[in-house]
Amino acid sequence: MITWQRKLPSLVAVLVVSACAVPPPYRAPAPPAPVPPPTQEPPVETRPAPAPEPPVEQPPPPAPVVREPVLSAASRALVSQAQIQLQSKNYPVAASSIERALRIEPDNPLLWIELGKVRQAEGNYVQAENMGRKAASMSVNAPRANSSAWTLIAESLRARGKNSEAQEALLRAQGVR
Amino acid sequence: MRALKKYRKQIFAGVALAFGVAAIAFTVWVFTLDRKITSQFEGRRWTLPAQVYAQPTELYVGQTFSAETLEQDLQRLGYQRVDKPQHPGSYSRKGTRIDLINRRFQFWDALQEPQLLTIKTNGNAVEDLRNGRNEEVPIFRLDPLLIGSIFPIHGEDRVVVTPEEVSQLLPSALKVVEDRKFDTHWGVNPTAIMRAAFVNLRAGAIEQGGSTLTQQLVKSYFLDNRRTIGRKIEEAIMAMLLEVHFSKQDLMNAYINEIYLGQDGQRAIHGFGLASQFYFGKPLAELQLHEVALLVAIVRGPSYYDPRRHPQRARERRDMVLKLMAEHGVIAPDMANKAAKRPLGIVSSGSQAGGGYYPAFLDLVRRTLRRDYREEDLTEAGLRIFSTLDPTVQTQAEKALTQELDRLDKTRKTKSKAPLEGVVVVTAPQNGEVIAMVGGRQASFAGFNRALDAKRSIGSLVKPVIYLAAIESGQFNAASIVEDGPVSVKLANGQLWEPKNISEQYYGPVPLVRALAQSMNLATVNLGMSVGLPKVTREFVALGLEKEPPQLPSVLLGSLDVSPLEVAQLYNAFANGGFSTPLRAVRSVLDTEGKPLKSFALEVTPVASPDAVYQVNRMMVEVIEHGSGRGARAQIPPDVVVAGKSGTSSDYRDSWFAGFSGSHLAVVWIGHDDNSPTGLTGSSGSLPVWSRLMANLGTTSWSAPLPESLEETWIEFPTGLGARPDCGEEPIAIAVPKGTELPMQPSCGTNVFGEFGEKAKEWWRGITRQ
Repeated sequence: MITWQRKLPSLVAVLVVSACAVPPPYRAPAPPAPVPPPTQEPPVETRPAPAPEPPVEQPPPPAPVVREPVLSAASRALVSQAQIQLQSKNYPVAASSIERALRIEPDNPLLWIELGKVRQAEGNYVQAENMGRKAASMSVNAPRANSSAWTLIAESLRARGKNSEAQEALLRAQGVR
Repeated sequence: MRALKKYRKQIFAGVALAFGVAAIAFTVWVFTLDRKITSQFEGRRWTLPAQVYAQPTELYVGQTFSAETLEQDLQRLGYQRVDKPQHPGSYSRKGTRIDLINRRFQFWDALQEPQLLTIKTNGNAVEDLRNGRNEEVPIFRLDPLLIGSIFPIHGEDRVVVTPEEVSQLLPSALKVVEDRKFDTHWGVNPTAIMRAAFVNLRAGAIEQGGSTLTQQLVKSYFLDNRRTIGRKIEEAIMAMLLEVHFSKQDLMNAYINEIYLGQDGQRAIHGFGLASQFYFGKPLAELQLHEVALLVAIVRGPSYYDPRRHPQRARERRDMVLKLMAEHGVIAPDMANKAAKRPLGIVSSGSQAGGGYYPAFLDLVRRTLRRDYREEDLTEAGLRIFSTLDPTVQTQAEKALTQELDRLDKTRKTKSKAPLEGVVVVTAPQNGEVIAMVGGRQASFAGFNRALDAKRSIGSLVKPVIYLAAIESGQFNAASIVEDGPVSVKLANGQLWEPKNISEQYYGPVPLVRALAQSMNLATVNLGMSVGLPKVTREFVALGLEKEPPQLPSVLLGSLDVSPLEVAQLYNAFANGGFSTPLRAVRSVLDTEGKPLKSFALEVTPVASPDAVYQVNRMMVEVIEHGSGRGARAQIPPDVVVAGKSGTSSDYRDSWFAGFSGSHLAVVWIGHDDNSPTGLTGSSGSLPVWSRLMANLGTTSWSAPLPESLEETWIEFPTGLGARPDCGEEPIAIAVPKGTELPMQPSCGTNVFGEFGEKAKEWWRGITRQ
């Protein structure tokens, strides 16, 4: 009884806040702007081109509360920097850019997915899958992010020839959407 | 006489031969010296200890950072406060706005060029971040703090500078004070030698040296302080040989990097580059006139003119250097007067950059790298090492430990001759980076590294591992009832093992969550035995313990010797939601040229069911809310969700607390080095350190989302019976697998999973602000 009353004001506050602040839907990180000459390190200030319009919103499922993660401006800059580094096959540097973002937002499943993609690109499918699993465990209330996580898991499993497990993962990726 | 005449020829020949042999011997000797000195000069001129950097401060909009903390950061980096920043390493502050020009720095992934940055803060967060062209900057990192170097024991430490990094003032001052004929002499200065010889003759002892800079350089190369005539001649010849082979500029540069300028315990401070860090906490290029003059003053006698121990002496000599510089036209007289009015400006030895001050952490760095590099590569090859240390967290950890240990020493009932010792290890749970490590009460004392080497009994810290094994077995949940009653296990040697609770009481049937929260020994032994010892010991290995514990019942009560760092590794798997990530102290290693050699990438491995880990973590939250960790709330605000577990070994020899929030994991150990009893439990000793640290870090809530397969429900904490938030004794919310049916507290009705399940969820969301 006492506990409940003590927590009530903060609960009300949370409900009010969440009612006002509808989180914007996750936008996929934009494709990098035209690639600069290779000698020129992309400056940190690089900002992504405006993201494409998100696909038409589906009616949100009634419950539970959906909270799709979004990247902060700092993370967005680091992710697009990583994507440029990835194009020049500079995997350790690309990974370290994502790791920088992860230090700022360790709970953002999108960043774990991005890091998984770097591992995937360099052929480290075990870590790619693990990053996917980490992202999946963090995105139970975020169907889109969860679906991307399972897609990454499925792709990583397939790359290792684990086709039936990959199929299962793919079903989860489609199922949660 | 006649005989002399008779043998004149032979004598002449003999003398000529002797001269010839002597001349040849001399020539050979000179050649040997020549080879020795030139190879010393040309070969690897200096052995360069690896330099270790802390993690850089990242600036971005939204970051929790007040102008105050940013300014502290800049001061720690040796940035100079000015009215308007004009050069790298300076900043200005107007209220909540800071303008700065960063230093040029080669990171492992990019070169950061100096630029003007304007940071506007609002209360506790960065609100706006722009560059000199008024463009928004999404993220920017400052040059990292140099926290130390890996130098040989009793060895030379130095930071080598190129001529471009040296202000012209320094060579000029050196010449004026040490060797006025430097630009023209050929290695030795006969007038100076004569003058010195005269002084020494009059004093009857060697009082004054007439050494040129070149001679001092030679002397320093071969580390020989004997002042014999033979030695002097050898030195003079070598100096002349150096002058033949190398330009004056090369020699001056060598001198600046070579010369001995101070002592820091076992570490010899060599070269002006490191001396600048050691005394002023900033790069040589940024020194002002009075600071340059002080370093030049120290050259003559680093111990005699030690500005920390003999500030008055050092100051007098500094002012004399300034006077000489003015007299010889290096600087204007009014500049000298102005500089002479400045204080010495020495950073205190505790806060200084230049290292040696985080010995426990540096030791971890060194051990990490020893797997991949030879000792010589670390101490000689000039590697640049980017570590994970967060200086702010480190400072907080040191403070929390010393303050609480001082308090405990005063109030403890069990008096002991030796003071208490302690360890703190802090990690960032999601990426496994070790961000702080305190190896003892005197954090800056390099000795036995308790954080790594003190393997001590961890007591009840083992319990969450047992509860995890139980939940993973599928036979238990947080509300399952276990019996806290007499235990008697027959051991392999035939003896009976009959453990007790710390309180020496029996609590009867209790729910798992209470048994863990209140750290009940007998309930835990019963639980562990029914899960099975092999399952439990394997769980330790899965979570990251290197060696599997023996399958003995006593392991269930933590008779298991583990170091604080290993505990951190174990608990990190809980904090990271069932994913293990090897703890890291190093991010990457660059060679002298700035080429990346190695990076320690973030790796995660699923090691336990995330759902089971979530359930145990929720139970560890109850340790803080209702159990042995309640004391934490004296420091940590009620809306910050944290989880943890206390541990006490038998006879109160070891006091432990390990726990985590959303952003930090910390392990604290307190005990005596001789393993004698402390009279402290985990809750009375280590918990206060842990909670003080967590509170001072302003840490964030643990807020993992509820896994899909679980749901929330209310139970009575004492009985484990289903309850409602407004009904039953001490109702608490727990996470259980969906569809779990619990016997209801009769007075609370039966509807647990409808309305009240939702309420539980809302309550949880309320406190975790999901």
